[in-house]
Amino acid sequence: MKLSRGTSWKAVTAAIAIGLSALTVPVFAGGNRPGVAQWSVVVNQVDAGGLGVAPEFQVAIYENLLDELVKTKQFSTVLRSGDRAANDASALLVLKTTVESYTPGSETKRAVTTVAGATKLKVRSQLCTRDGQVVLERVVDGNVRFFGGNLRATHNLARNVAKAIKQSPLPEPAPSVHGE
Amino acid sequence: MRYQIVLSKMTGWTLRCLIPVVCFTVSLMSQEGDQAKAPVSPSVVHATAILGFEGISNNTNGELSVQGDNLVFKPAGGPITRITIGSIQGVFLTQEDKEVGGTPLALGRAATPFGGGRAIGLFAHKKYDFLTLEYLDSNGGFHGAVCQLNKGQGQALGSELEAKSVHVSGLKDDAQRLETKNEAK
Repeated sequence: MKLSRGTSWKAVTAAIAIGLSALTVPVFAGGNRPGVAQWSVVVNQVDAGGLGVAPEFQVAIYENLLDELVKTKQFSTVLRSGDRAANDASALLVLKTTVESYTPGSETKRAVTTVAGATKLKVRSQLCTRDGQVVLERVVDGNVRFFGGNLRATHNLARNVAKAIKQSPLPEPAPSVHGE
Repeated sequence: MRYQIVLSKMTGWTLRCLIPVVCFTVSLMSQEGDQAKAPVSPSVVHATAILGFEGISNNTNGELSVQGDNLVFKPAGGPITRITIGSIQGVFLTQEDKEVGGTPLALGRAATPFGGGRAIGLFAHKKYDFLTLEYLDSNGGFHGAVCQLNKGQGQALGSELEAKSVHVSGLKDDAQRLETKNEAK
């Protein structure tokens, strides 16, 4: 059975159109998923947990968390700690980060030995509602073992925290939360 | 013919031995050059905005200075960032070792045979001061910013901020130790 050139051309076009639609539909559907992008999140300052974490590390974790959470597009607004706009947010989650372990590394040691001098960070991340109910809790780590500066550990950590939040289903925001 | 082969082998060996030495010398020269170029005036210091400065991408080079009631970061190109000194909650000064030479030297180290790269890595690093700022924006939001300065400049800038009633912590002990050492001499 032979198909004419015109028929085969139409079939190819139709196949491409179906393929494209199959690709685009989930992308748009993802943006309108219930429970996603309805919450706002306020990122609290990092609690060093008395482990003597260098101040630049605490600040870098905080700033990187803000950047990475914006990138996930999981939340309608990502707010800084103390931001007055949080008072008006209808459905608000609070991200609390506590450092559980911290091993300061050395860039020089890494360059010379390759195996030693790794910077290691482990934090406990909690997403809580305004009334303190924990919605999500994860222990996440971020390390720099071979290449890059010590502060890259904070970037890796923030990326892992954001990834953990993105992969976890969040509950639907309760309507009564507004105005509390 | 044999002499030629031996000669070419020797040249190869000599070159292999010379590459690490040349890389090492270049790295040392770059360190010395940086130290010589350090600005004398404490009010304007060369800095790298590691992160946290609004409107400025990470790892941007520029000049950090105290101008009136503002801490100003002026990048080599692009908009200037001003932080009102009154909004600064705290300044922390630390010191850390960092590799010099960036990606080119890292690639050079990786390409150096017989573990020569590790030997270069042993010397191709420099101490930097890190200035960490904590400040609030107009909406009350907490911001953090980290700046990398040449060694010694952090304390100078910190003292200047301290004179404007900003709470500065860290690095002072080192300066005091140096002072006591000088007094003892």
